[in-house]
Amino acid sequence: MKNENHRKSFLGRLQRTPQWKKEELAEIEYEPVSVKELLTEMKDISELIIDLAYSALLFNSTEIAEEVKYLEVRMDRLNYEIRITAMMAARTKEDAEQLAGILQIAQAAEKISNSAGDLLVLMNLQPKDLLPRILENADERIFRIKASEQSRACTQSIGSLRIESETGMRVIAIRRKNCWIYNPQSDNTLQANDILIVRGTDEGFENLNDFLQGKQEVLD
Amino acid sequence: MKQETLESLVLDIIEKSELMVDLSYSSLLYDNTTIAKEVYDLEQHIDQQFEKIHQDVFEGVKKGTLTVKDARALSKLARAGEEIADAAREIADVQLRDVELHPILKMSIRESDEIISKILVSSESMLCGKTLGELKLGSETGMTVIAMRHQHRWLYGPTKNTRIDADDVLFVKGPEDGEAHLIEIAEGQIQEI
Repeated sequence: MKNENHRKSFLGRLQRTPQWKKEELAEIEYEPVSVKELLTEMKDISELIIDLAYSALLFNSTEIAEEVKYLEVRMDRLNYEIRITAMMAARTKEDAEQLAGILQIAQAAEKISNSAGDLLVLMNLQPKDLLPRILENADERIFRIKASEQSRACTQSIGSLRIESETGMRVIAIRRKNCWIYNPQSDNTLQANDILIVRGTDEGFENLNDFLQGKQEVLD
Repeated sequence: MKQETLESLVLDIIEKSELMVDLSYSSLLYDNTTIAKEVYDLEQHIDQQFEKIHQDVFEGVKKGTLTVKDARALSKLARAGEEIADAAREIADVQLRDVELHPILKMSIRESDEIISKILVSSESMLCGKTLGELKLGSETGMTVIAMRHQHRWLYGPTKNTRIDADDVLFVKGPEDGEAHLIEIAEGQIQEI
């Protein structure tokens, strides 16, 4: 009886396995995905994950940190898959030589995601004001903006607002109530009270901030 | 070394390493050995800087001018940048090898969320004679200039004071719709930003 209880509680814990753990435990099966798709995703993750790691530290967010861990594990998996796919694609010596270059880039992208993951150690270690102070002088900074109900942005998609091409601010993540959207795409819509995590210059931030607070009717 | 100076050295590593990743992908996209070699040089520079930071961090702790916590955080941040710089060098290395690049490579780089583009500035363009600081290309078009070629001179990670002239070649990074806008400006079809 006692044993059964123990087992139940263990099962209960398993269900709350974080997403990154699930990804880590997942079996790797060969799926016919193209090398190009795998490499594009790896490149995208390697760029996103650095910004997310700094965001986690700047805003002391364990949730963003979880996403960084998840992406780090996903990257390991993609790196494995791209190796399998590349090996299956090689027919000649020339193929093999060219594919070796692709695998080297995949490896480098994975290395970048690992260094971003390593930064999370600073979550517990970091003296609170150190990182904000260092990053304050960067050309591009990470900001947090809340979308007000008054803003014209609400219910519009990121693509139709052309946020990045109008302000230079790249939306890294959106927090909506208790949910997060990481690396939102152009068809993701903004809603009132969304909190956006964005990266860009001070001027771009001011422009976007005025727009999202409803002080400015259009982005220009 | 003052903690302030140390902090700015760390920021320099962080920013340079990200620039290097962009440069290394540009070198592949445009089969450009000059940019790839620059990534190599920058990597060596970052290695030296990393060693210097490490040395100064230890000395700072010994002298009592730096807390252990700050010291660990500073060296951790510098290490992450140094590793990213290493990765950028590995990417550039593919360009420098004597093997023709796989066509998939260029497609992947083109199809990313953030694309890289090479744009020639026409003499009709309103960009001519203006500095990057005046133009604010980043906040107006979303495109960041990561490198540029002025006649035979190359400039990597240009600053606010860098001036654009006719026939300069800009290597930029940003969203796809920003690219089209900037091309029109560089060609002189649009005279206002």
